[in-house]
Amino acid sequence: MESWPRARPAVRKKIALFILLGWVLLIIGDRVDELRVYQGAQMAMYTIALASIVLLTGYSGQVSLGNGAMMAVGGYGAALTLNNLGSPIWFAFLMAVVCAALFGALLGTAAARLSGPYLAGTTLALAVGLPAIANQFKFLGGEPGLLFDVGFPPERFGEEFTQYKWFFWISTFIALIALFMTSNILSSRFGRTWRGIRGHSLAAELCGVHSSRMKILAFTVSSALAGLAGAVLAMNISLVAPGAYALSLSFALVTGAVLAGISSLPGVVFGAFILVAIPEIADALAGRLGDADKLNHYLPGLIVSILLILSVIYAPNGPGENLRKHLRKKPAR
Amino acid sequence: MQKVIETLLIGLSTGSIYALMSIALVLVWRSTRVVNFAQAGQAMLSTYIGFEIASRSEIFWLGLVFAIAAGALVGAGVDYFFMRVLFKHATSGPAAVVAPVIATLGLLGLIRSIVGLTWGGEFRSIKAPASTDGFTVGDGTIPFSTLDVLIIATVSIILIALALLFQRTNLGLALRASAYAPEIAQLAGIRTARTRTIGWSIAGGVGGVAGMLVTSNNFLSPYSLDLLLVFGFIAAVIGGLESMAGSVIGALVLGIGLTFILNYVGTSLVFIGGFSVLILVLLIKPDGIMAKGKARRA
Repeated sequence: MESWPRARPAVRKKIALFILLGWVLLIIGDRVDELRVYQGAQMAMYTIALASIVLLTGYSGQVSLGNGAMMAVGGYGAALTLNNLGSPIWFAFLMAVVCAALFGALLGTAAARLSGPYLAGTTLALAVGLPAIANQFKFLGGEPGLLFDVGFPPERFGEEFTQYKWFFWISTFIALIALFMTSNILSSRFGRTWRGIRGHSLAAELCGVHSSRMKILAFTVSSALAGLAGAVLAMNISLVAPGAYALSLSFALVTGAVLAGISSLPGVVFGAFILVAIPEIADALAGRLGDADKLNHYLPGLIVSILLILSVIYAPNGPGENLRKHLRKKPAR
Repeated sequence: MQKVIETLLIGLSTGSIYALMSIALVLVWRSTRVVNFAQAGQAMLSTYIGFEIASRSEIFWLGLVFAIAAGALVGAGVDYFFMRVLFKHATSGPAAVVAPVIATLGLLGLIRSIVGLTWGGEFRSIKAPASTDGFTVGDGTIPFSTLDVLIIATVSIILIALALLFQRTNLGLALRASAYAPEIAQLAGIRTARTRTIGWSIAGGVGGVAGMLVTSNNFLSPYSLDLLLVFGFIAAVIGGLESMAGSVIGALVLGIGLTFILNYVGTSLVFIGGFSVLILVLLIKPDGIMAKGKARRA
C-alpha cells in the first residue's frame, strides 16, 4: 500500500492520455463517412476482444480458442437484459460483463486448473457447438437470434448525428474504459503474478502463488472482457444470433491477437485494425479476381489463416517484437 | 427393449467413427504434444478427394483407399513442412507454449478455405456403399442398416491393423518409443523426427477413413467435420489423451451415450450432452479412465 501515492501520477498521466485519445477519435469520427464510422465501431469492438485474449494467453499463458463463444454469452446476456427488463443501455452492458464473468468462472473452474490442450479443446468445443446451444433454448431466439436495439442517439446531438456515429461513440467510450482498466490490471500485482505463472508455474507456486486460483481469475477477467466485446458487437449489428459469433470469429480473434503481439496490450489496436481491414482487402481482391460467390466467402478466411500461420512461425511474439529486436542491435559479446 | 438394442447398435456404429478420429488425435498428441485441431481439416481434404474418386468411379471403396492415401500424404506433409519449421522457429518468448496449438488452428482455417475455394460450399453426399435401409426385425424395420454393419467392420479391421502395427512390428515399437521418451529413443538409434512424421501420416490416414465413413450416411461440406473433431476430442479426453485403447473405449461410450440422448430426448440436446460429458470428465477424472495414478504431463 505504501507505493500507492507514488503510483498515482502515472495513473493520472494515463487517464490524461486516454481522454486525449478519446477526443482525437471523436474528432476523426466527425470527419469520415458512414462506412468508416461503422468500421471504427467494429475496431473498438475487436480492441476489447483482443485485449481479453492478450490478458489470457499473453499474460497467464492459457489458450482459449472459443472467445467467440464468450462474446456470445455477453451478447445474449445484454440482449436479454435490454429486451426483458427494458433497462438502460449501460446496465445491459454491465450485465454482459457479469454474465460472461460468471460463465467464465464456471468454465474456468472446470478447465483452467488443467493446462493447454484441455482448455483449448474445451473452448473450441464450445465455439463449435454454440449454434446447437442457441437453438436449444427458446428464449435465445434460435437461428435468427434476438434483436438488440440501443435506440436512437439522444436528440440534443442534433439531426446530423447518425445511428452509426452513436454506435461509434458508445463503443469507443467502452473500449477506452476497458483498455484503461485492463492496462491497470496487467501492471498490477495480478498481471505480474500471471506472467510469473506463464513463465514457470512451479516457481510461482514456490513463491506462494495459488496458481490454479490465479488461472481461474485470469480466465474470468478475460471472459468478462470478451462478454463486453460481444455486447458491443451485438449493438453494432443490432442483433444477437449464433451466426454472428461463428467459429470464424474465434479464429479471427486468435489471429488478431497473434498479430498484435500476444503479450502487448497497445498492440491490440493494430490487431483490431488488421481484422477490420481484412474483409475490405478480401473484397477488393475478390472483385479483381472475378466476383465468384466462393471467393467472397472463403477469401477472408484464407487471408486470416495465412497471416496466422506466417506470424506464428516467423513472429510468434508479434511483428512488433521482431521490429524491436531489429532496432535494438545485439551488443557484441 | 427393441429400441434399447437398436440404440445400442447405432451408437456402436457412431462411436466407432468417433474412435477413429480420437485415435488420430491421440497419435499426434503422444508424439508431438499438440492436440491437432487441423485434423478436422486434414480429414475433410482427404474426404473431398475420396469423394471425387468415389463419385467418378462409382466405387466407394476406391474412394476410401484414395482418402486414406491422401490423408497419409497430407498428414506427413503437415508435419514435415509445417510442424518442423514451427518448432525450429518458435522456441522462446511468451508465445512459445501456445504457438503449436494456434498454428494447427491456422492450418484448419487454411485447409477449409482451400477446400471451399476448390469445391465450393454446397452440401454434397456420397452414394453409400451399402443399403441404408434398416434391417427388418419381426414386423417393422429398425434404423440399423447394412451400412452400419460395414462401418463397424471397417473400423474393426483398421483398429486390429493398428494394434498389430503398434504391438508386433519394429515400426510400432519405434513409434511407441519415440512418443514415450524421444531422447532415449534417439540414443537407441531411432530416427525420431522421421518416426514422428510417420505417426502423423498414420493419423492422417485414419482421419481420412473417419471422414469418409461419416460422410457415407451424411452430407459433406467444408464445415461438416467440425463436430466429428469435437466428439473425437471428447472421446480422447475420456481416454486420457495418451491411451489409444482408452480413447476407443471413450469413443464407444460417447457414441452410445449420445445416441441414447438422440433417440430418447431429442436431436438438439446431443451436443450439450457431449459437452457435459467433457466437463464432467475434466472435473471428476481429468486424467481419463485409463490413468494409472500418474500425473499428467504437459
